[in-house]
Amino acid sequence: MHGPLIDTLARQGVTRRTFMKYCATLASMMALPPAAGRAMAEAMASAPAATRRPSVIWLPFQECTGCTESITRSHSPTLEGLIFDAISLDYQETLMAAAGHQAEEALHAAMKANEGKYLLIVDGSIPLGLDGAYSCIAGKSNLDTLKEVAKGAAAIVAMGSCAAYGGIPKANPNPTGAVSVSDIIKDKPIINIPGCPPIPVVMTGVLAHFLTFGSLPEMDSKGRPKAFYGETIHDRCYRRPFYDQGKFAKTFDDEGARNGWCLFELGCKGPVTYNACATVKWNGGTSWPVESGHGCLGCSEPDFWDAGGFYKALSMPADPLKMASTAAIAGAAAGVAISFANRGKKSAAKSAHETTTLADLEK
Amino acid sequence: MSIEAIPVVVINSSENLVAADSGLSGNAPVLLREIAELAHRLLDSGEASAIDLRALPLTPADLEWLRETLGQGQVVATLEAEGESMLSETVCPGVWWVTHHNENGAVASEFIEVTFVPELLKAHPEDVKIGLEHLELLISDLS
Ligand code: SF4
Ligand code: SF4
Repeated sequence: MHGPLIDTLARQGVTRRTFMKYCATLASMMALPPAAGRAMAEAMASAPAATRRPSVIWLPFQECTGCTESITRSHSPTLEGLIFDAISLDYQETLMAAAGHQAEEALHAAMKANEGKYLLIVDGSIPLGLDGAYSCIAGKSNLDTLKEVAKGAAAIVAMGSCAAYGGIPKANPNPTGAVSVSDIIKDKPIINIPGCPPIPVVMTGVLAHFLTFGSLPEMDSKGRPKAFYGETIHDRCYRRPFYDQGKFAKTFDDEGARNGWCLFELGCKGPVTYNACATVKWNGGTSWPVESGHGCLGCSEPDFWDAGGFYKALSMPADPLKMASTAAIAGAAAGVAISFANRGKKSAAKSAHETTTLADLEK
Repeated sequence: MSIEAIPVVVINSSENLVAADSGLSGNAPVLLREIAELAHRLLDSGEASAIDLRALPLTPADLEWLRETLGQGQVVATLEAEGESMLSETVCPGVWWVTHHNENGAVASEFIEVTFVPELLKAHPEDVKIGLEHLELLISDLS
């Protein structure tokens, strides 16, 4: 295992053993066999000099740059950064030095030189309203750019809930006519990495897989990497025993909240949300939303913004997430259903347009 | 957070009370056979292999049982690399228990490796070269 990447790392004080350990753990997180860790280390370490690295083009559409923030603020900057050293990031508006015509030239040069082989990463949704006029880059609508760049891509990564499902721009009433990447591109392998923003290691894991095996990892029915989205937040939540015992916090500062009881009644969407927050956690494994006392918003699920209120319990009526498991969940927690019934009445009295009021928070 | 830190509560376990009490799922003993299989392979072909303990449906109690059953051999090595890693040989030489911790001390991954020496412990020729350069520097300082 030797190559320019290892030399670069060594200069930054990262040893070969640290690198191998990182790859072993990454493979384990991705539910790949242990030998894959070695293969990843080999593939990335022996990545050739800059000119021949796999080309990656990253297009930002209707987005907030939160996804880029998430990735660039990741856990072990040198190690996560290493994945980016192993690729040639030929176009990324936020990170690239070039601007204007120069940037557009870089994009087209990369597309031509790596035709059929480059990986396309998209963050942000694509507005179809007003012929795509809501979001344009270099005088071209996002729709046209996506179609043009997708044509020569080997595979596409839809980064974040916006690219994967439309996300916040698509929230009711969807003023720009926002849609997801897979709504437009039908003839390329697309992997969705939803989350608002997605977890950095999921992104690097998918990139490492592409670099090592030249393909995308195994996906579920919503096009997400199974290894990270195979289980719900609720499946792996450390507050789960309280849920099973029927112990729920009723407000954000009652005894239950202080005791760390389940946040289901405070609107936690963990039971219907597939993501790895409960195990991988955020900010370098420091904590994650439920651990800091707030329920999961369901940010990695389609239309999470319109799921009927962040502070509304899942079992309440008018739940647009419409997951089949909801009914079973309400049934499992004996006795809980009764308290929901009252709340159901309260919410029914509200207008269809849901805004979060203090009363919601104080439920 | 490590999965171990989640207290496991078995619900609806009336049909399976014994297992629920001990926290054992019954998945661990099977692993011994697999490890034996891998040890055979190591002897026959020299091929090393590993089992990812995180990838298997093992409860904390299962892991504990396995760790205890395999026992502690003569070699324990610690690796400091963005968090501590422990590589310890079990009472069965060639069967290693490898635990990687992250910077926060949480278990990041855990493996059983069946190999003469875990790859991570071996010095890489390129690293030996760097060490040699350093040695030569030390020697030149002597004069
Ligand atoms: S409802 Fe939320 S807080 Fe409660 S156990 Fe599930 S994920 Fe955790
Ligand atoms: S806990 Fe839920 S809302 Fe929060 S980041 Fe994870 S999936 Fe998104």
